[in-house]
Amino acid sequence: MKRRTWLLSAAGAAGALIVGWGVLPPRSRTGSGRLWPPAEGQVALNGWIKIRSDGSVLLAMPRSEMGQGVHTALPMLVAEELDVPLSRVHIEQAGADTIYGNVAMLMAGLPFHPFEFEERPAKVQAGEWVVSKLARELGINATGGSSSVADAWMVLRTAAATARASLLGAASLQWRLPVDELTVRDGVVLHASGPSAHYGALARFAAATPPGTVRLKERKDWKIIGQSEPRKDVPAKVDGTAQFGLDVRLPGMLYAAIRLCPMLGGAPGAINAGAALSMPGVERLVRLPAYAGSTAGFAMVGKSWWQVQQAALAVPVNWQQRPAGALDSRQIGRELEEALQREEGFVFYEQGSVAQAEAGASRKLEALYRAPYLAHATLEPMNCTAQVKDGKVFLWAPTQVPQMGAAIAARVANVPVEDVNITVTLLGGGFGRRLEVDYIAQAVRVAMDCAGRPVQLIWSREEDMTHDFYRPMHVVRLAAALDAQGGPASLRIKSAGDAISPRWLERGIPALAGPVDMPDKTTAEGLFDLPYGFAHQHMSHVATRKNVPVGFWRSVGHSHNAFFSESFIDELAFEMQQDPLALRRQLLKDAPRYLAVLDLAANQAGWGSKLPAGQARGIALHESFGSIVAQVAEVSLLDGQPRVHRVVCAIDCGTVINPGIVAQQMESSVVFALTAALYGKVDIEKGVVQQKNFPDYPMLRLAQAPLVQTHGVPSTRPPGGVGEPGVPPLAPAVANALFSLTGKRLRSLPLTL
Amino acid sequence: MDISGGEAAEAIARHHWKLFMELQINSQAVQVEADPAMPLLWVLRDLLNMTGTKFGCGVAACGACTVRVDGQAVRSCVMPVSMLAGKTIQTIEALGTPAKPHVLQQAWIAEQVPQCGYCQSGMLMAAAALLEKTPKPTDADIDAAMTNICRCGTYQRVRLAIKRAAGLGPGKPVKKLA
Repeated sequence: MKRRTWLLSAAGAAGALIVGWGVLPPRSRTGSGRLWPPAEGQVALNGWIKIRSDGSVLLAMPRSEMGQGVHTALPMLVAEELDVPLSRVHIEQAGADTIYGNVAMLMAGLPFHPFEFEERPAKVQAGEWVVSKLARELGINATGGSSSVADAWMVLRTAAATARASLLGAASLQWRLPVDELTVRDGVVLHASGPSAHYGALARFAAATPPGTVRLKERKDWKIIGQSEPRKDVPAKVDGTAQFGLDVRLPGMLYAAIRLCPMLGGAPGAINAGAALSMPGVERLVRLPAYAGSTAGFAMVGKSWWQVQQAALAVPVNWQQRPAGALDSRQIGRELEEALQREEGFVFYEQGSVAQAEAGASRKLEALYRAPYLAHATLEPMNCTAQVKDGKVFLWAPTQVPQMGAAIAARVANVPVEDVNITVTLLGGGFGRRLEVDYIAQAVRVAMDCAGRPVQLIWSREEDMTHDFYRPMHVVRLAAALDAQGGPASLRIKSAGDAISPRWLERGIPALAGPVDMPDKTTAEGLFDLPYGFAHQHMSHVATRKNVPVGFWRSVGHSHNAFFSESFIDELAFEMQQDPLALRRQLLKDAPRYLAVLDLAANQAGWGSKLPAGQARGIALHESFGSIVAQVAEVSLLDGQPRVHRVVCAIDCGTVINPGIVAQQMESSVVFALTAALYGKVDIEKGVVQQKNFPDYPMLRLAQAPLVQTHGVPSTRPPGGVGEPGVPPLAPAVANALFSLTGKRLRSLPLTL
Repeated sequence: MDISGGEAAEAIARHHWKLFMELQINSQAVQVEADPAMPLLWVLRDLLNMTGTKFGCGVAACGACTVRVDGQAVRSCVMPVSMLAGKTIQTIEALGTPAKPHVLQQAWIAEQVPQCGYCQSGMLMAAAALLEKTPKPTDADIDAAMTNICRCGTYQRVRLAIKRAAGLGPGKPVKKLA
């Protein structure tokens, strides 16, 4: 299907939902206080903001904290516009109304080149209109795609400024003083003539006072946005009181351990539970069907997790291979290469005529790159606590998608979704794994057999690693042609691998999954949307379906595609006998934002200056999730293995809310990406994932962690993402340094010399 | 374990190998009744509802479950409870108090170490054991002692925070993007 055809079909599919949108009021995501019933001593001023009687502020929090700092960044937006100290803004989990849906995350799925988003031709405007309406209607509350701040940017500031205007209006009416003579300091409304009142004293009156004209603060007046405010979640994370999913404790709670069929997609045949059921602490065995794309198995339920885990391991099971045949990652690798040869694929980007440029080329360069399956390995294993009682379902879950969790719980328990109550705990890592709801469905199923008692279902590390939704394997061929003068003329890229989004939709929102997969931007991101000024470009992707469960892995397609594209640009520089920085600068002469980031990283790293003997530098640049990141890695070999000493990061993420959190996320991304670049690989043989636990799926540790230094390009653009954009450039920066060091070009991940 | 009256008696009769023992946890004598092979981690988490100590891997590979036993950093997920008679156990719950946080906890806050936070109890207990033995650790000492896994990559701040707590310079907290 050609791209244009797809856009039209997407618009057509959405058409039915457009009806009725015209009546949505302006500022429709501010919502009314009715959406959020106040408890004693609280007044709701809109769908996001409540004022408590002591004048402190409650913010409805729809996003999950998984380390990225969102429970600090979003309150900062509100504190700024309400003129209260950040310490006076508290959060409470948001409800299920569509105002809390993540519009920015769905908008980012539009497959337009970043330059087109800048120029905004009609097709971009139409696409944005359709998707924004669709997103608004669906109201999918998800934390992912580095989108939380981008999504909240206008919405939360508008909600807070609206609340502030009503509070000022209330003071003005009560004191009979003009509203523009009132000021606010630390949540106290003041007038020069003497009267003052804190928000708590004004809130009840403010709830009935229209806000009048609402203005957002000007940038020059910001006191909180742009500051490295300490994270609000840190104190509880250093004294052990922070509550993750695993830490939920309820009266009478049982524990459940699971064993899923070791062969992906397989199922248990006969289960001989007899002896295990008489083990101490064990109460029952519950069979688990293959929920939400996972594999079937069983759960053992009892008084402590360790006891039921021992019992589960003791059960002899006759596991059955999946009927369609065993999955094998090596075989899949070969099939992807064949697909690359045989199939045309979907064209995500086309400019000029690559065929012509190649026909008239003075020289050509071509290379095949590969990336393996990867597991997420969040440090907190998958878990969920569920209680099914009197026709209602209660959930306590570390999840990135609470509504999808509630929806599957309703389907499993066969109750209306309104009868599902979900509490989102802190997440001990997410990285995309907790965009899945398999473990929630399992917990509900187990709870249904426990006579109203709550059950905490916990996966062992081995189950977590062998039943993940893996980053899909990808294979890509890149080809460049040089013109008669030896300059870069064309870039042709064709990749093959499974598409994640359609599978994810099938699992989580079956009603939205169509009979035919639509092209998935995540397969091609980082390949079709490059900033480099090749006159002729062609990028296509062959979407395969290999039946390994695949999912979103921190920075998704970018995570492998940047390795392909940025390594290949380095190959091109070598072929042209050019410095890798100089070639990139030449190719970016019409892309000043990218160039500024690249230059900042190069300058801060001292590109071209002398390094200690045995060290080399590599550079890479990549845009993802609305932010541009360049990294320079300094690498040597230690006992023949790559050792990364320092990574200098430059980032343009638009307006920075909290520079400290941006720096944290760059440090985090470098370690996460370096772990994958050096060690990350999941092999599947006879349907069984071979890597079971950290000893055979190794992680970078403190002793191997490079020093990460972060520098920001000042910007007044709206905020981009920061949780993921630091991941993609790391692997190519390291691979490029290794090439410089050893002369060996590594075209497969993980990087093995 | 809370099994009262006849139920407890019946349980003991059926599983005579169950162990009653007294543990010294956070300066308190705690009575537990458990399978002697049950790892300390699960005694803490499931029998005593002390959830600050985390489960990560179950094979002593990640360090999320690190506690101190007689001052040493120990991975509690593989430490059978029967080995702990007469020993002193310290968990994150007693590293400091709200009124008087441990110097490491103060340093952790100053350096803004945690992200998701799941590994941090174990990190802090490993760091506490390090500083007690080596009050002025070198980088090599820190490398050798801090082998816990952090998926969020807080390692460089862990290093800075340990140095700060050890009085080896204030570290270099990030204030502004340069």
